[in-house]
Amino acid sequence: MNPDREDRGGRVPLPGFGDRAPGDPAPGGSAPGGPAPGDPGPGDWGSRRQAAPDRRDGIRHARRMSNWTLAALIAGTGAATVALAHQAFPTATAAGTTAATTGAGTTATAHGASGPQVGHSVATTSGSGVTVTTTTHTVKGKTVVTHVRHVPAYHDN
Amino acid sequence: MPDATAVAPAAASWRPVDTGDTTVAVAQRSALGTTARLAVWPPENIGPAIALVDDVLSSLDLQASRFRPDSEISWVHRAHGGLFMLSDGLAEAVRVALAAAAWTGGLADPTVGAALISLGYDRDFAAIDPGGREPVPAPLPAPGWQSVRLDGPLLRLPAGVLLDLGATAKGLGSDRAARAVQVATGNRGGVLVSLGGDIAIGGTPPAGGWPVLVADGPGPAQPVRLARGGVATSSVTCRQWRRAGRAVHHIVDPRTGLPADGPWQAVSVTAATCADANAAATAAVVAGDQAEQWLTGAGLPARLVDHGGGVRYTGGWPEGEGGLLPLPADSHVYRGAGPRGGAR
Repeated sequence: MNPDREDRGGRVPLPGFGDRAPGDPAPGGSAPGGPAPGDPGPGDWGSRRQAAPDRRDGIRHARRMSNWTLAALIAGTGAATVALAHQAFPTATAAGTTAATTGAGTTATAHGASGPQVGHSVATTSGSGVTVTTTTHTVKGKTVVTHVRHVPAYHDN
Repeated sequence: MPDATAVAPAAASWRPVDTGDTTVAVAQRSALGTTARLAVWPPENIGPAIALVDDVLSSLDLQASRFRPDSEISWVHRAHGGLFMLSDGLAEAVRVALAAAAWTGGLADPTVGAALISLGYDRDFAAIDPGGREPVPAPLPAPGWQSVRLDGPLLRLPAGVLLDLGATAKGLGSDRAARAVQVATGNRGGVLVSLGGDIAIGGTPPAGGWPVLVADGPGPAQPVRLARGGVATSSVTCRQWRRAGRAVHHIVDPRTGLPADGPWQAVSVTAATCADANAAATAAVVAGDQAEQWLTGAGLPARLVDHGGGVRYTGGWPEGEGGLLPLPADSHVYRGAGPRGGAR
């Protein structure tokens, strides 16, 4: 890995754009070379000032909301969250899903919702090249599972 | 997805493997000097999946095999250093190898090529004289992965530096193949690809995960289940040959240029991808006494077998039979390298 090519997160200022990203409002309301798309024109400043009292009224109106209303909103949101979580949990575990918590604190989940049941090993991880073939036979009504180890003449891991 | 009956000509070398389950189809062939195994569900996906895996394996072989004079990496090596425009596939393979080297602190370093050749691993393993009496040359420590520069497809390789992608290439191949099948099937079903025991999966696993065996170590193989990511094993008990009466093997310590001589005969690791697991298993063998510490720091579940047959488990690797392998953290080797195994 070339250390010079390490991922550099964050915003990189472009020449001529200072610390602004494209689309950010410019100081003074316009970007160099003219207003940026979406910037309010001079007339908009007037309407902003006009709108200020209305906004203050709205804030006062909101403050007048009853504490009971606020409490009801919080309680409703919490109940909805609990209900969604309750519905989601059985969905994830109902269809043969298994989970294990690792020593590292992560959780592995096998979503077996649409996968078939597979009882016999299909592959072997082995540095020595050993593979194990599992075969199943029925002898006198009993199922006999046989594991046969194969050691190759050569192998590359 | 191509027609299930349309199997590529190369697929003729595959043979079916009867595992006793009719819900999956399993096939196997020799590839890349080892064994490739493919398992899919539903079983009717096996034909097209074989064609896709063949395509991935032949491409990887042409890109990264040190033993093919017509491979791209052999062409690079013959130039004895310089600036090269690589194919997307080899560029990804080198990028993953360099990322693995950075992640493992140089324990899995792709610049061990010259050291391996000096030890006698200069041809396909089947062609090496196992009882070679040539003297062991002076060790050649790896020049270091930092000496290699890769900028997109542009590779700058110093003269005398030879790359060996053995610590990541098979994992990458498994990741590529599993991804190719997964994409082609539109996630309808699941796939498992094993190259020399380095296993990647894609799509939806069987209920409870793919059942796989961990074969190295004392006693019977350990059955585990893999539902996410990949698993790989590195071992010093394979690919051994002799030099001046001394047994040598193919896992080279980049710091010394000599075969790793730590306490582990085999290390199995599960990780977010097979290439991660491949690199980590090799790094753990090289790390020796520091392996458990490194694996724990990396948050990787692992199973380590020492030369006496003792087995140690780290990071939540299940100690019993049939346990689900834990889901490790995100990939390190594909970070910044684009889609996982996305190149062909």
